[in-house]
Amino acid sequence: MAGSIASLRRRARKHFTDPAGRRGLLVAFEGPDGSGKTTQRKLFKTWLKSEGYDVVTTKWNSSELIKPIIKSRKSVRALSPEEFSLLHGADFRHRVEQVILPALWAGKLVIADRFLFTALARDVARGLDLDWVLKVYQPLLWPDMVFYFSVSPVTSGKRVTATRTPNFYEAGQDVTDVDDPVESYQRFITRVIREYESLALIFNFITVDAERSIGEQHRQIRALFVKGRERPWSDWNADAVADWLAVNGRR
Amino acid sequence: MTRHRASAQLIAVDGVDAAAVAAAAKEALRAVTRGGISRWDASGVFQDLAVADGDAGAPSARTLLLLYAADLAFRLRWQIRPALAEGRTVVAAPYLFTAMAFGRAAGLPSSWVMNLFRFAPRPGAAIVVHESRDGRRGSKDGFVGFACDRIAGGDEERFRRKLLDATAARLRQFHVPRR
Repeated sequence: MAGSIASLRRRARKHFTDPAGRRGLLVAFEGPDGSGKTTQRKLFKTWLKSEGYDVVTTKWNSSELIKPIIKSRKSVRALSPEEFSLLHGADFRHRVEQVILPALWAGKLVIADRFLFTALARDVARGLDLDWVLKVYQPLLWPDMVFYFSVSPVTSGKRVTATRTPNFYEAGQDVTDVDDPVESYQRFITRVIREYESLALIFNFITVDAERSIGEQHRQIRALFVKGRERPWSDWNADAVADWLAVNGRR
Repeated sequence: MTRHRASAQLIAVDGVDAAAVAAAAKEALRAVTRGGISRWDASGVFQDLAVADGDAGAPSARTLLLLYAADLAFRLRWQIRPALAEGRTVVAAPYLFTAMAFGRAAGLPSSWVMNLFRFAPRPGAAIVVHESRDGRRGSKDGFVGFACDRIAGGDEERFRRKLLDATAARLRQFHVPRR
Protein backbone atom coordinates (compact mmCIF):
# COMPACT_ATOMS: atom_id res chain seq x y z
CA MET A 1 0.00 0.00 0.00
CA ALA A 2 1.04 3.57 -0.51
CA GLY A 3 1.60 4.88 3.00
CA SER A 4 -0.48 7.26 5.06
CA ILE A 5 -2.13 10.30 3.52
CA ALA A 6 -0.09 12.55 5.82
CA SER A 7 3.19 11.10 4.54
CA LEU A 8 1.97 11.39 0.95
CA ARG A 9 1.11 15.05 1.55
CA ARG A 10 4.63 15.61 2.83
CA ARG A 11 6.03 13.89 -0.23
CA ALA A 12 3.91 16.09 -2.50
CA ARG A 13 5.00 19.25 -0.71
CA LYS A 14 8.67 18.28 -0.87
CA HIS A 15 8.47 17.48 -4.56
CA PHE A 16 6.68 20.64 -5.63
CA THR A 17 8.71 23.01 -3.50
CA ASP A 18 12.12 21.56 -4.36
CA PRO A 19 14.18 24.58 -5.46
CA ALA A 20 16.53 22.36 -7.46
CA GLY A 21 14.03 21.56 -10.22
CA ARG A 22 11.56 23.45 -12.41
CA ARG A 23 8.22 22.69 -10.87
CA GLY A 24 5.18 21.82 -12.92
CA LEU A 25 2.72 24.60 -13.60
CA LEU A 26 -0.99 24.33 -14.30
CA VAL A 27 -2.62 27.11 -16.31
CA ALA A 28 -6.35 26.97 -17.00
CA PHE A 29 -8.21 28.80 -19.75
CA GLU A 30 -11.85 29.33 -18.86
CA GLY A 31 -14.76 31.13 -20.43
CA PRO A 32 -17.95 30.64 -22.40
CA ASP A 33 -18.06 29.23 -25.92
CA GLY A 34 -17.03 31.80 -28.47
CA SER A 35 -14.72 33.63 -26.11
CA GLY A 36 -11.61 32.73 -28.10
CA LYS A 37 -9.97 30.43 -25.55
CA THR A 38 -8.78 27.90 -28.08
CA THR A 39 -7.13 30.52 -30.29
CA GLN A 40 -5.35 32.01 -27.30
CA ARG A 41 -4.38 28.59 -25.97
CA LYS A 42 -2.67 27.72 -29.25
CA LEU A 43 -0.80 31.03 -29.38
CA PHE A 44 0.21 30.69 -25.75
CA LYS A 45 1.46 27.14 -26.25
CA THR A 46 3.59 28.14 -29.23
CA TRP A 47 5.13 30.97 -27.23
CA LEU A 48 5.75 28.77 -24.17
CA LYS A 49 7.55 26.22 -26.32
CA SER A 50 9.76 28.97 -27.73
CA GLU A 51 10.57 29.85 -24.12
CA GLY A 52 11.75 26.30 -23.48
CA TYR A 53 8.73 24.93 -21.62
CA ASP A 54 7.67 21.32 -22.01
CA VAL A 55 3.94 21.85 -22.60
CA VAL A 56 1.06 19.41 -22.28
CA THR A 57 -2.47 20.39 -23.33
CA THR A 58 -5.62 18.85 -21.94
CA LYS A 59 -9.06 19.66 -23.27
CA TRP A 60 -12.44 19.36 -21.64
CA ASN A 61 -14.18 16.00 -22.05
CA SER A 62 -11.19 14.32 -23.66
CA SER A 63 -10.42 11.27 -21.52
CA GLU A 64 -9.86 8.40 -23.92
CA LEU A 65 -11.68 6.14 -21.48
CA ILE A 66 -14.75 8.24 -20.66
CA LYS A 67 -15.23 10.48 -23.70
CA PRO A 68 -16.79 7.73 -25.88
CA ILE A 69 -19.28 6.98 -23.11
CA ILE A 70 -20.36 10.63 -22.90
CA LYS A 71 -20.41 11.10 -26.65
CA SER A 72 -22.78 8.20 -27.29
CA ARG A 73 -25.20 9.43 -24.62
CA LYS A 74 -25.10 13.00 -25.83
CA SER A 75 -25.88 11.88 -29.35
CA VAL A 76 -29.20 10.39 -28.22
CA ARG A 77 -29.88 13.28 -25.83
CA ALA A 78 -30.16 10.85 -22.94
CA LEU A 79 -28.51 12.73 -20.10
CA SER A 80 -30.15 14.38 -17.11
CA PRO A 81 -28.25 17.24 -15.42
CA GLU A 82 -26.98 14.83 -12.72
CA GLU A 83 -25.79 12.25 -15.25
CA PHE A 84 -24.22 14.99 -17.37
CA SER A 85 -22.39 16.31 -14.32
CA LEU A 86 -21.24 12.94 -12.98
CA LEU A 87 -19.96 11.66 -16.33
CA HIS A 88 -17.99 14.85 -16.91
CA GLY A 89 -16.69 14.54 -13.35
CA ALA A 90 -15.47 11.02 -14.20
CA ASP A 91 -13.82 12.27 -17.37
CA PHE A 92 -12.12 15.06 -15.43
CA ARG A 93 -10.90 12.74 -12.65
CA HIS A 94 -9.48 10.28 -15.16
CA ARG A 95 -7.56 13.09 -16.91
CA VAL A 96 -6.31 14.48 -13.60
CA GLU A 97 -4.92 11.06 -12.69
CA GLN A 98 -3.67 9.99 -16.11
CA VAL A 99 -2.58 13.23 -17.78
CA ILE A 100 -2.45 16.31 -15.59
CA LEU A 101 -0.77 15.14 -12.38
CA PRO A 102 1.79 12.90 -14.10
CA ALA A 103 2.80 15.89 -16.27
CA LEU A 104 2.98 18.28 -13.31
CA TRP A 105 5.00 15.74 -11.32
CA ALA A 106 7.44 15.56 -14.23
CA GLY A 107 7.88 19.34 -14.15
CA LYS A 108 5.87 20.08 -17.28
CA LEU A 109 3.54 22.98 -17.92
CA VAL A 110 -0.06 21.91 -18.37
CA ILE A 111 -2.54 24.12 -20.23
CA ALA A 112 -6.11 23.09 -19.50
CA ASP A 113 -8.56 24.28 -22.15
CA ARG A 114 -11.43 24.43 -19.66
CA PHE A 115 -11.06 23.13 -16.12
CA LEU A 116 -13.35 22.32 -13.23
CA PHE A 117 -14.87 25.81 -13.31
CA THR A 118 -16.53 24.85 -16.59
CA ALA A 119 -18.36 22.11 -14.72
CA LEU A 120 -19.29 24.45 -11.89
CA ALA A 121 -20.66 27.13 -14.23
CA ARG A 122 -22.55 24.75 -16.51
CA ASP A 123 -23.89 22.42 -13.84
CA VAL A 124 -25.14 25.25 -11.66
CA ALA A 125 -26.69 26.86 -14.75
CA ARG A 126 -28.47 23.52 -15.20
CA GLY A 127 -29.93 23.87 -11.72
CA LEU A 128 -27.57 21.72 -9.68
CA ASP A 129 -26.34 22.75 -6.25
CA LEU A 130 -22.89 24.41 -6.32
CA ASP A 131 -21.83 22.80 -3.04
CA TRP A 132 -22.67 19.30 -4.34
CA VAL A 133 -20.83 19.82 -7.63
CA LEU A 134 -17.76 21.30 -5.94
CA LYS A 135 -17.54 18.33 -3.58
CA VAL A 136 -17.95 15.86 -6.46
CA TYR A 137 -14.70 17.33 -7.86
CA GLN A 138 -12.78 16.88 -4.61
CA PRO A 139 -9.93 16.56 -3.92
CA LEU A 140 -9.64 19.90 -5.68
CA LEU A 141 -6.66 20.66 -7.83
CA TRP A 142 -6.18 24.42 -8.05
CA PRO A 143 -4.44 25.83 -11.13
CA ASP A 144 -1.50 28.17 -10.64
CA MET A 145 -3.33 30.62 -12.89
CA VAL A 146 -6.82 30.80 -14.31
CA PHE A 147 -7.31 33.06 -17.32
CA TYR A 148 -10.98 33.88 -17.67
CA PHE A 149 -11.99 35.06 -21.13
CA SER A 150 -14.81 37.44 -20.54
CA VAL A 151 -17.40 38.15 -23.23
CA SER A 152 -21.01 39.22 -23.09
CA PRO A 153 -23.77 36.69 -23.81
CA VAL A 154 -24.53 38.58 -27.01
CA THR A 155 -20.93 38.33 -28.28
CA SER A 156 -20.76 34.64 -27.35
CA GLY A 157 -24.03 34.00 -29.19
CA LYS A 158 -22.94 35.93 -32.27
CA ARG A 159 -19.56 34.20 -32.52
CA VAL A 160 -20.91 30.69 -31.96
CA THR A 161 -23.86 30.96 -34.31
CA ALA A 162 -21.91 32.74 -37.06
CA THR A 163 -20.61 29.44 -38.42
CA ARG A 164 -22.76 26.69 -36.94
CA THR A 165 -25.83 25.76 -34.94
CA PRO A 166 -25.09 24.99 -31.29
CA ASN A 167 -25.64 21.37 -30.36
CA PHE A 168 -28.36 20.21 -27.96
CA TYR A 169 -26.35 20.31 -24.72
CA GLU A 170 -24.22 23.28 -25.72
CA ALA A 171 -27.46 25.19 -26.24
CA GLY A 172 -28.78 23.93 -22.89
CA GLN A 173 -31.91 22.60 -24.58
CA ASP A 174 -32.07 19.85 -21.94
CA VAL A 175 -33.00 22.51 -19.38
CA THR A 176 -34.43 25.49 -21.27
CA ASP A 177 -37.26 23.61 -23.05
CA VAL A 178 -36.72 25.93 -26.01
CA ASP A 179 -36.94 24.23 -29.41
CA ASP A 180 -34.82 26.75 -31.30
CA PRO A 181 -31.14 25.98 -30.52
CA VAL A 182 -30.02 29.56 -31.15
CA GLU A 183 -32.61 31.06 -28.82
CA SER A 184 -31.93 28.35 -26.25
CA TYR A 185 -28.19 28.99 -26.46
CA GLN A 186 -28.72 32.68 -25.78
CA ARG A 187 -30.76 31.94 -22.66
CA PHE A 188 -28.44 29.23 -21.41
CA ILE A 189 -25.18 31.09 -22.01
CA THR A 190 -26.56 34.06 -20.10
CA ARG A 191 -26.95 31.80 -17.06
CA VAL A 192 -23.52 30.21 -17.60
CA ILE A 193 -21.80 33.60 -17.85
CA ARG A 194 -23.55 34.77 -14.69
CA GLU A 195 -22.11 31.74 -12.86
CA TYR A 196 -18.67 32.31 -14.40
CA GLU A 197 -18.66 35.95 -13.27
CA SER A 198 -19.41 34.83 -9.69
CA LEU A 199 -16.69 32.18 -9.82
CA ALA A 200 -14.22 34.73 -11.20
CA LEU A 201 -14.73 36.83 -8.09
CA ILE A 202 -14.71 33.94 -5.60
CA PHE A 203 -11.65 32.20 -7.03
CA ASN A 204 -9.71 35.25 -8.14
CA PHE A 205 -9.46 34.51 -11.85
CA ILE A 206 -7.29 36.68 -14.10
CA THR A 207 -9.88 38.26 -16.35
CA VAL A 208 -9.00 38.82 -19.99
CA ASP A 209 -11.26 41.12 -21.97
CA ALA A 210 -12.04 38.76 -24.83
CA GLU A 211 -13.79 41.49 -26.80
CA ARG A 212 -10.33 42.97 -27.56
CA SER A 213 -8.14 41.97 -30.51
CA ILE A 214 -6.40 38.57 -30.58
CA GLY A 215 -2.96 40.22 -30.47
CA GLU A 216 -3.79 42.42 -27.49
CA GLN A 217 -5.14 39.47 -25.53
CA HIS A 218 -2.09 37.36 -26.30
CA ARG A 219 0.33 40.07 -25.15
CA GLN A 220 -1.69 40.52 -21.96
CA ILE A 221 -1.61 36.77 -21.25
CA ARG A 222 2.16 36.60 -21.76
CA ALA A 223 2.76 39.53 -19.41
CA LEU A 224 0.44 38.16 -16.73
CA PHE A 225 2.00 34.71 -17.00
CA VAL A 226 5.53 36.09 -16.58
CA LYS A 227 4.36 37.99 -13.52
CA GLY A 228 2.54 35.04 -12.02
CA ARG A 229 4.80 32.07 -12.75
CA GLU A 230 7.01 32.65 -9.73
CA ARG A 231 4.13 32.19 -7.31
CA PRO A 232 4.84 29.51 -4.73
CA TRP A 233 3.16 26.12 -4.99
CA SER A 234 -0.28 26.15 -3.43
CA ASP A 235 -0.48 23.90 -0.41
CA TRP A 236 -4.20 23.51 -1.13
CA ASN A 237 -3.10 20.98 -3.76
CA ALA A 238 -1.44 18.64 -1.27
CA ASP A 239 -4.61 16.55 -0.89
CA ALA A 240 -5.10 16.12 -4.64
CA VAL A 241 -1.49 15.07 -5.17
CA ALA A 242 -1.54 12.74 -2.15
CA ASP A 243 -4.73 11.13 -3.46
CA TRP A 244 -3.04 10.51 -6.82
CA LEU A 245 0.10 9.13 -5.19
CA ALA A 246 -2.07 6.75 -3.17
CA VAL A 247 -3.82 5.54 -6.33
CA ASN A 248 -0.47 5.01 -8.04
CA GLY A 249 1.00 3.30 -5.02
CA ARG A 250 -1.75 0.71 -5.08
CA ARG A 251 -0.96 -0.34 -8.60
CA MET B 1 -27.94 -11.91 5.74
CA THR B 2 -28.96 -8.75 7.60
CA ARG B 3 -32.58 -7.94 6.95
CA HIS B 4 -34.53 -4.85 7.92
CA ARG B 5 -37.92 -4.69 6.22
CA ALA B 6 -40.41 -1.90 6.17
CA SER B 7 -43.54 -1.21 4.17
CA ALA B 8 -41.84 1.43 2.03
CA GLN B 9 -41.72 0.66 -1.65
CA LEU B 10 -38.05 1.22 -2.38
CA ILE B 11 -36.13 -1.79 -1.13
CA ALA B 12 -32.35 -1.75 -1.35
CA VAL B 13 -30.48 -5.04 -1.67
CA ASP B 14 -26.73 -4.69 -1.31
CA GLY B 15 -23.80 -7.07 -1.14
CA VAL B 16 -20.45 -7.94 -2.65
CA ASP B 17 -21.52 -11.13 -4.38
CA ALA B 18 -23.63 -10.34 -7.46
CA ALA B 19 -25.30 -13.75 -7.63
CA ALA B 20 -26.31 -13.63 -3.97
CA VAL B 21 -27.65 -10.09 -4.39
CA ALA B 22 -29.69 -11.16 -7.43
CA ALA B 23 -31.15 -14.12 -5.52
CA ALA B 24 -32.02 -11.93 -2.53
CA ALA B 25 -33.65 -9.37 -4.83
CA LYS B 26 -35.85 -12.04 -6.40
CA GLU B 27 -36.83 -13.29 -2.98
CA ALA B 28 -37.69 -9.77 -1.83
CA LEU B 29 -39.82 -9.27 -4.91
CA ARG B 30 -41.82 -12.42 -4.24
CA ALA B 31 -43.26 -10.78 -1.14
CA VAL B 32 -44.83 -7.88 -3.06
CA THR B 33 -47.76 -7.83 -5.45
CA ARG B 34 -46.63 -5.17 -7.94
CA GLY B 35 -43.00 -4.43 -8.46
CA GLY B 36 -39.75 -4.98 -10.28
CA ILE B 37 -36.01 -5.06 -9.90
CA SER B 38 -33.65 -2.21 -10.84
CA ARG B 39 -30.24 -3.68 -11.57
CA TRP B 40 -26.71 -2.33 -11.74
CA ASP B 41 -25.58 -0.89 -15.08
CA ALA B 42 -29.04 -0.32 -16.52
CA SER B 43 -27.50 2.62 -18.39
CA GLY B 44 -24.79 0.44 -19.96
CA VAL B 45 -21.97 2.70 -18.74
CA PHE B 46 -19.95 -0.19 -17.35
CA GLN B 47 -20.65 -2.34 -20.37
CA ASP B 48 -19.12 0.44 -22.47
CA LEU B 49 -16.22 0.73 -20.04
CA ALA B 50 -15.54 -3.00 -20.30
CA VAL B 51 -14.85 -2.70 -24.01
CA ALA B 52 -13.06 0.66 -23.82
CA ASP B 53 -9.50 1.19 -24.98
CA GLY B 54 -7.22 -0.53 -22.49
CA ASP B 55 -4.39 1.86 -23.25
CA ALA B 56 -6.38 4.79 -21.89
CA GLY B 57 -5.29 3.95 -18.35
CA ALA B 58 -7.19 2.14 -15.62
CA PRO B 59 -9.91 4.07 -13.81
CA SER B 60 -9.41 4.71 -10.11
CA ALA B 61 -11.92 3.86 -7.41
CA ARG B 62 -13.04 7.48 -7.45
CA THR B 63 -13.66 7.45 -11.19
CA LEU B 64 -15.56 4.16 -10.90
CA LEU B 65 -17.77 5.56 -8.15
CA LEU B 66 -18.56 8.63 -10.25
CA LEU B 67 -19.67 6.26 -13.00
CA TYR B 68 -21.69 4.20 -10.51
CA ALA B 69 -23.42 7.40 -9.39
CA ALA B 70 -24.16 8.35 -13.02
CA ASP B 71 -25.67 4.91 -13.58
CA LEU B 72 -27.71 5.24 -10.39
CA ALA B 73 -29.01 8.63 -11.52
CA PHE B 74 -30.12 6.94 -14.74
CA ARG B 75 -31.84 4.14 -12.81
CA LEU B 76 -33.60 6.64 -10.57
CA ARG B 77 -34.85 8.62 -13.55
CA TRP B 78 -36.01 5.80 -15.77
CA GLN B 79 -36.77 2.90 -13.43
CA ILE B 80 -37.05 3.70 -9.75
CA ARG B 81 -38.87 7.04 -9.56
CA PRO B 82 -41.43 6.27 -12.32
CA ALA B 83 -42.29 2.93 -10.70
CA LEU B 84 -42.64 4.49 -7.26
CA ALA B 85 -44.85 7.20 -8.75
CA GLU B 86 -47.14 4.45 -10.06
CA GLY B 87 -47.34 2.97 -6.58
CA ARG B 88 -45.15 -0.02 -7.37
CA THR B 89 -42.37 -1.49 -5.30
CA VAL B 90 -38.84 -1.31 -6.61
CA VAL B 91 -36.08 -3.59 -5.46
CA ALA B 92 -32.81 -1.78 -6.20
CA ALA B 93 -30.09 -4.40 -6.37
CA PRO B 94 -27.55 -3.07 -5.67
CA TYR B 95 -28.27 0.41 -4.33
CA LEU B 96 -26.13 2.68 -2.17
CA PHE B 97 -24.42 0.52 0.44
CA THR B 98 -22.49 -1.61 -2.04
CA ALA B 99 -20.90 1.41 -3.68
CA MET B 100 -20.30 3.19 -0.38
CA ALA B 101 -18.62 0.12 1.09
CA PHE B 102 -16.42 -0.23 -1.97
CA GLY B 103 -15.43 3.43 -1.83
CA ARG B 104 -14.54 3.28 1.84
CA ALA B 105 -12.62 0.02 1.34
CA ALA B 106 -10.64 1.70 -1.43
CA GLY B 107 -9.64 4.46 0.95
CA LEU B 108 -11.95 7.25 -0.20
CA PRO B 109 -13.10 9.72 2.46
CA SER B 110 -16.52 9.06 3.92
CA SER B 111 -17.54 12.71 3.40
CA TRP B 112 -16.83 12.49 -0.34
CA VAL B 113 -18.72 9.23 -0.74
CA MET B 114 -21.73 10.49 1.25
CA ASN B 115 -21.90 13.72 -0.75
CA LEU B 116 -21.68 11.87 -4.06
CA PHE B 117 -24.90 9.98 -3.39
CA ARG B 118 -26.76 12.89 -1.85
CA PHE B 119 -29.17 12.95 -4.80
CA ALA B 120 -30.41 9.43 -4.10
CA PRO B 121 -33.42 8.91 -1.80
CA ARG B 122 -32.99 6.73 1.23
CA PRO B 123 -34.58 3.33 0.83
CA GLY B 124 -37.56 2.44 2.94
CA ALA B 125 -36.11 -0.99 3.57
CA ALA B 126 -32.67 -2.47 3.19
CA ILE B 127 -31.27 -5.96 2.87
CA VAL B 128 -27.54 -6.52 3.08
CA VAL B 129 -26.37 -9.88 1.80
CA HIS B 130 -23.22 -11.06 3.52
CA GLU B 131 -23.11 -14.61 2.20
CA SER B 132 -21.44 -15.63 -1.01
CA ARG B 133 -23.79 -17.72 -3.17
CA ASP B 134 -21.24 -19.81 -4.98
CA GLY B 135 -18.16 -19.38 -2.85
CA ARG B 136 -16.55 -17.00 -5.35
CA ARG B 137 -17.28 -13.73 -3.62
CA GLY B 138 -17.40 -10.82 -5.99
CA SER B 139 -18.54 -12.38 -9.23
CA LYS B 140 -17.43 -10.27 -12.18
CA ASP B 141 -21.09 -9.75 -13.04
CA GLY B 142 -21.43 -7.29 -10.16
CA PHE B 143 -20.13 -3.80 -9.52
CA VAL B 144 -17.64 -4.73 -6.81
CA GLY B 145 -16.09 -7.60 -8.76
CA PHE B 146 -15.91 -5.46 -11.89
CA ALA B 147 -14.41 -2.51 -10.03
CA CYS B 148 -11.84 -4.62 -8.18
CA ASP B 149 -10.78 -6.20 -11.45
CA ARG B 150 -10.36 -2.81 -13.08
CA ILE B 151 -8.34 -1.33 -10.27
CA ALA B 152 -6.18 -4.41 -9.85
CA GLY B 153 -5.49 -4.41 -13.57
CA GLY B 154 -6.55 -8.04 -13.89
CA ASP B 155 -3.26 -9.55 -12.77
CA GLU B 156 -3.00 -8.74 -9.10
CA GLU B 157 -5.14 -11.42 -7.51
CA ARG B 158 -3.88 -10.72 -4.02
CA PHE B 159 -4.80 -7.04 -4.21
CA ARG B 160 -8.17 -7.85 -5.79
CA ARG B 161 -8.99 -10.32 -3.01
CA LYS B 162 -7.91 -7.84 -0.35
CA LEU B 163 -10.18 -5.13 -1.75
CA LEU B 164 -13.10 -7.53 -2.03
CA ASP B 165 -12.65 -8.63 1.57
CA ALA B 166 -12.32 -5.03 2.74
CA THR B 167 -15.55 -4.12 0.93
CA ALA B 168 -17.35 -7.05 2.56
CA ALA B 169 -16.02 -5.98 5.95
CA ARG B 170 -17.22 -2.40 5.37
CA LEU B 171 -20.67 -3.66 4.46
CA ARG B 172 -20.90 -5.37 7.82
CA GLN B 173 -20.21 -2.08 9.55
CA PHE B 174 -23.01 -0.11 7.90
CA HIS B 175 -26.00 0.76 9.94
CA VAL B 176 -28.84 -0.08 7.60
CA PRO B 177 -32.04 1.89 8.13
CA ARG B 178 -34.66 0.41 10.38
CA ARG B 179 -38.23 1.37 10.37
